[in-house]
Amino acid sequence: MLWLMALATGLQAAPAPIANDFSDTEVLALLPAGFHDTPDTGNPDRLADRIQGHITRARTAGDPRHLGYAMALLEPWPDTAMTDRLRVLRATLNQSLHRFDQARADLDTVRSRSAGGQPYLQATLTLANMELVRGRYGAARDACNDLTTRYPGLLAQHCLARVDARTGKAATAYQRLASALLQRPPEDPRLRAWVEGTLGDMAAQQGLVTAVTHWQTVLQLTPDDLYVRAQLADWQLAAGQPAAAVALTNGYDSVDPLAIRRVIALQAGGQPDAARSLTRRLRERFDEALWRGSDLHRRDYARFLLDIDNRPGEALDYAVANWRDQREAADTRLLLRAAQRAGDEESIRQVRQWLASVNQSDRRFDLPPSGAPLP
Amino acid sequence: MTRPLALLLALCCGLLATTAAAHKASDAFLYLDNRGATATLRVDVALRDIALLTSLDSNRDGQVTGAELRSARSAIIAAVTDTVRIEDVRGSSCTLRGASWGLSRHSDGAYAAGRWHIQCPQGESPGRLTYNLLFDRDPLHRGLIQVIRQDGEQLAVLSPDQRHLALTGARPSAIGVFASFVQQGVIHLLLGLDHLLFLLVLILPATFRQRPAREGGLRARLSGLVWVVTAFTVAHSITLALAALDIVRLPVPWVELVIAFSIAVAAINTVWPFLGKKTWKLAFGFGLVHGFGFASVLAELTSGLSGKTLALAGFNLGVELGQLAVLLVTFPLLYLLAGHRLYRRAAVPMVVLGVCGMSVFWMLERAGAL
Repeated sequence: MLWLMALATGLQAAPAPIANDFSDTEVLALLPAGFHDTPDTGNPDRLADRIQGHITRARTAGDPRHLGYAMALLEPWPDTAMTDRLRVLRATLNQSLHRFDQARADLDTVRSRSAGGQPYLQATLTLANMELVRGRYGAARDACNDLTTRYPGLLAQHCLARVDARTGKAATAYQRLASALLQRPPEDPRLRAWVEGTLGDMAAQQGLVTAVTHWQTVLQLTPDDLYVRAQLADWQLAAGQPAAAVALTNGYDSVDPLAIRRVIALQAGGQPDAARSLTRRLRERFDEALWRGSDLHRRDYARFLLDIDNRPGEALDYAVANWRDQREAADTRLLLRAAQRAGDEESIRQVRQWLASVNQSDRRFDLPPSGAPLP
Repeated sequence: MTRPLALLLALCCGLLATTAAAHKASDAFLYLDNRGATATLRVDVALRDIALLTSLDSNRDGQVTGAELRSARSAIIAAVTDTVRIEDVRGSSCTLRGASWGLSRHSDGAYAAGRWHIQCPQGESPGRLTYNLLFDRDPLHRGLIQVIRQDGEQLAVLSPDQRHLALTGARPSAIGVFASFVQQGVIHLLLGLDHLLFLLVLILPATFRQRPAREGGLRARLSGLVWVVTAFTVAHSITLALAALDIVRLPVPWVELVIAFSIAVAAINTVWPFLGKKTWKLAFGFGLVHGFGFASVLAELTSGLSGKTLALAGFNLGVELGQLAVLLVTFPLLYLLAGHRLYRRAAVPMVVLGVCGMSVFWMLERAGAL
């Protein structure tokens, strides 16, 4: 009986001892930039600026504490005084926390209240993005079509191209978007980076090596694009270039998705000691996340279980749960790989059936025969 | 267009996936040891979090040094003791008496840590904890608490919606988890009609009194029964463990279909023993499949639970207990009925027919779900 109890409670190890032997000059923690700024939240526009700053920081530094800070600023604000801009921000926050219905409600409100104008554009773009990530291509297309009517241009073209690529027209979508970018290169480097990132994804979808060029352009323009960095690392791992992936993920140990790819690259590149040490830290983080019970880390944890811990059955459970919320190429590929390794033909069949129903194909979904090593 | 566009892009570029997963949300760690004569509480708060509530970074240079931590000691202690409250079982406030203080580490870096003795009026034991640290600055902050009691330990999460935790009562202790899974095992066996019907048709031959001279008396039949039940038990325990521990996985719809099929085969075999009279082999073979059936139920019950082995052991024990209870009731009953002349000529064929019909119905239903 004792061993059973030990197993049941083995989730959390004893905490580190309380130490007093730190020196006075030792720097124990670094606080993020702007930590001491006093929030001026009296008027809705300045409040929105601050909230947006936190959301941006959460994204570029991969630091979810900022989502909490943004929520704390927003919560005391009375519902009756909500501006459209604040509503879009609240929707973005809710979307980040996977509260999709609440997010959609705010976006619908904004879109029904302000026909046209900046908040409308923003709400529509956010909606299209959310529906696309969730794999609801009909709703995403409606939002993109709406953009095309009201705001024709690269943003709208980009929006539609992403939906087209996921619904059977990857090659034409890629070509059209690439030539649109060539004909009218945008001034804003962030828009250019966004479009280049999409082009990279579409190229990878077709197995084109030009994906790498697009993604490298993104990282030159916006080095803090963690999403593209992770995509490029995956490409390098699949192409058998672990050294490149190690270099690409250097300095990102605190960001889970990149740290996971780094461990895989270190293992493949013959650096088992470095891989072990980073694995230990990642495991500690996931143990804490499991205790916390957050469902936001499911994609990363599934990848960790599958490729580092070699526990495909459990990886599959998390990959399936993640796929209910998010159906980007990386989510689908992760689920297919976990199902294959776990020998769950039924899950594979269901995913393939959904892919066929939306007419989606992606070279990254071609799985090698089971047993073959795969990053 | 540049600034509004920048706003827009800041919101839309990069997808929702990247934000939430990375780094770590704010967690404080609480360890409450309620075993000894004096209960103790340890609280670890990230330096970055406690800096929101105190002037820890006193020179405001964005760095927290050892000297700054030492000089903020009383402010940090006050920030914790003001927001973490403990009451005894009668509802009177307990006091926290400082025991030690210093620096600790968790997965995302340095934490300020303190340990307190919990002193409740008249030596009562702590009954309830209330936690309010940081929620107004970060609603995503959580207090992760481990409560250690004599009878086991419990992990819980304190959030803005769940600020209180009862410290008494041995709810999800290891024994509690085990007991609840024993119960689930019993319930599943009793409600899972397909396993019961399979068991019923397996034991039918052992109740026949036709030729006592050749097949021995009650004793011989009982031993036959024990063999059959043991074979079924061993077989489904093997596959239940294999599936629950994630060593082997089979698609659930197919398992369900084969289970339905197994019942029909076993039923036919009682009147026309085309698979031989040694039903224990049949019991073992199909028992393997039934184990996978139990596993799919167990998997639903254990999702999100740590300590799956404990749950597995409890669930399996529950299934066996349920099985034993069913046998203790039905076997003597059937044995008595078997004395009647219509038993083997009318009752058994009707039961077999009914069971066959039921299993064919299940097979059709389950094949439709494939």
